[in-house]
Amino acid sequence: MSEVALALVQAKTLERLLENGPPRVADCAGMLGWPAPPLPNGVDGQRVARIHLGSEFCETLLPSEPQLEQAIGLAGAAGLGFALLTPALSDSGLAALAALLPRLARGTEVVANDWGTLRMLRDIRPDLIPVAGRLLCKMVKDPRLPSAEWARLYPHGVHSGPFGSVLAMMGISRIEMDVPPFADAGDFRSETARVSVHAPYGFSVKGRACRIGSLGQPPGGKFTSGQECRKECLVYVGGLSRGDAGAGDLPTFQRGNTVFYRHSPSMISALSEALAEGWIDRLVLNGDWNENRRPH
Amino acid sequence: MKIVAPISRVDEVAAVAAAGAREIYCGIVPTDWTDRFRSAGVNRRAFGNLTRYEELGEAIAIAADHGATISLVMNAQHYADEQVGALQELAERFAGMGGHALIVGDIGLLARLGRRGLGIRLHASSLLACRNAGAAALLGELGACRVVLPRDVTLGEITAIAAARPELEFEAFVLNDGCVFEEGNCHTIHLPGRLGGPICLDRYAVEYDRVDGRRLAGTEIEALAANDALHDEWLWYRFGCGFSVTANGLPFGPCGLCAVPTLAGAGIAAVKIAGREGPLDRKLKSVEMVRATLDRLEDAESDASVAAFAQGLRARQDLCATGYMCYYREVIERYGAGTAHGAPAPAAVMGAP
Repeated sequence: MSEVALALVQAKTLERLLENGPPRVADCAGMLGWPAPPLPNGVDGQRVARIHLGSEFCETLLPSEPQLEQAIGLAGAAGLGFALLTPALSDSGLAALAALLPRLARGTEVVANDWGTLRMLRDIRPDLIPVAGRLLCKMVKDPRLPSAEWARLYPHGVHSGPFGSVLAMMGISRIEMDVPPFADAGDFRSETARVSVHAPYGFSVKGRACRIGSLGQPPGGKFTSGQECRKECLVYVGGLSRGDAGAGDLPTFQRGNTVFYRHSPSMISALSEALAEGWIDRLVLNGDWNENRRPH
Repeated sequence: MKIVAPISRVDEVAAVAAAGAREIYCGIVPTDWTDRFRSAGVNRRAFGNLTRYEELGEAIAIAADHGATISLVMNAQHYADEQVGALQELAERFAGMGGHALIVGDIGLLARLGRRGLGIRLHASSLLACRNAGAAALLGELGACRVVLPRDVTLGEITAIAAARPELEFEAFVLNDGCVFEEGNCHTIHLPGRLGGPICLDRYAVEYDRVDGRRLAGTEIEALAANDALHDEWLWYRFGCGFSVTANGLPFGPCGLCAVPTLAGAGIAAVKIAGREGPLDRKLKSVEMVRATLDRLEDAESDASVAAFAQGLRARQDLCATGYMCYYREVIERYGAGTAHGAPAPAAVMGAP
């Protein structure tokens, strides 16, 4: 059986989530407002084994030192594993991350989505466990693709020899993947790396200029790299629709600077098959960074 | 600083080089590739590619006659194992022809080519999304001698990265084609127009909700609508101001011309003009604009004067002033947008817009 990790951008819900020990996935769904998470059969009843805290998509959302310490403490008290999630980082973002690293005990996982982050971990904290995040494990994930043929035009190299060599050079033995549109169970089969897969959402594209993060900025400060924001992404989510043109699209939404899609039944089937085959040893559930389609 | 400019046909090489480009880049999709892989995915673009190996040799020879070089893009974000083998053969063939550099977008391919020691320069493509000095260093460890920085780094970040890695060359975007998202973190396809085109150009409607389940207040609805209206305006700039040009053909759209002095001061080796798939006239006018700006810089004019000259090239400083057309908006914040500083009217150099 694969283990379940719960990914959270914010630590504020952790105390309630963990007050009775490791929660079942169904408990998380209720507390985090997932209306009907499309997950493989049987996952609902599984207990969460790990907490992954941070953001894969924006350096503004790196946890503060107190948030990180609190989350590590709560996860440890509940007997859960812990990982710090990190996004693509500028040099100032790397400096902020470096300040957090002393808080991490030897053997803690750090999910990196930036080659500079991995290099820094290799050089200054080789005792931590680096994980290649899904921004580094590239594959076609366009929610509009009309057929599988389109994805086959650009086959992914997540399990290719050359990519594997780079992972080995960086001391990486675990990768994180999304379920791509028109996924096949074989997409997750690695000869060398342990594979974590995110569910029930994948990401298609991320930006640095942030649409919702521009909400509180003057016109000249909107939609630009390094812009300031008020973390509006924690408050709003945008459902995206192409109207009739998008009748066959995967359900799509934008949270912060990133566009996501919800898994289809056929994608969940492929995921289930790969889980059953033992090709995926960890499912990472998108805890508080999702559609949040709560009833109004 | 060298001008790096694109071509999509051999007969464009001489003109682009004569206009001032010293490094010319192109892609190739040979028929043996399409026969084998049933895909055009040698690089990031399905169109705007050469199709015969002989054309590569011709392009290299023509460029050399004009004091320029040819670089080849292998800048898809990812390749399967068997494709890496085919690309390695292509790289060896291109190196044997006297090609200048390979522009590589897949880190595994970069590492493989770096280990092979082909005797050709390796440039890490902007698709590798290098945003910090550590990432640049790693790309250098894998064999890159130059890193093409993505569009979304700031001038301050560029300056810091270049200062931290003096052993590497850096290239920065200067004109044309503005991804709305990050090119290196975009996992979509530029679909044909009938299927929606690039995802950032597609006609998505947005419906906002609060994640806490509360209804949006009227003031929130108004603020979100106002923000979206400005976002639409930004997209218009991002896509070449409606894909428009001045009366004499100077292209509007994403631009870093007025940042050239800062980029030069940071030690950036080359500035990149995007747009392989564009028409030749757009490429030529783009090279001419960059060349004219570099000429002013090489004449030892002040940075502010060069910036004002660059902003005046299209005689639409009002568009510059929004900052929405900029790769590097910091320059607008530093100098503003105008024809001050006593600079001669750029139209006198480039022709009336």
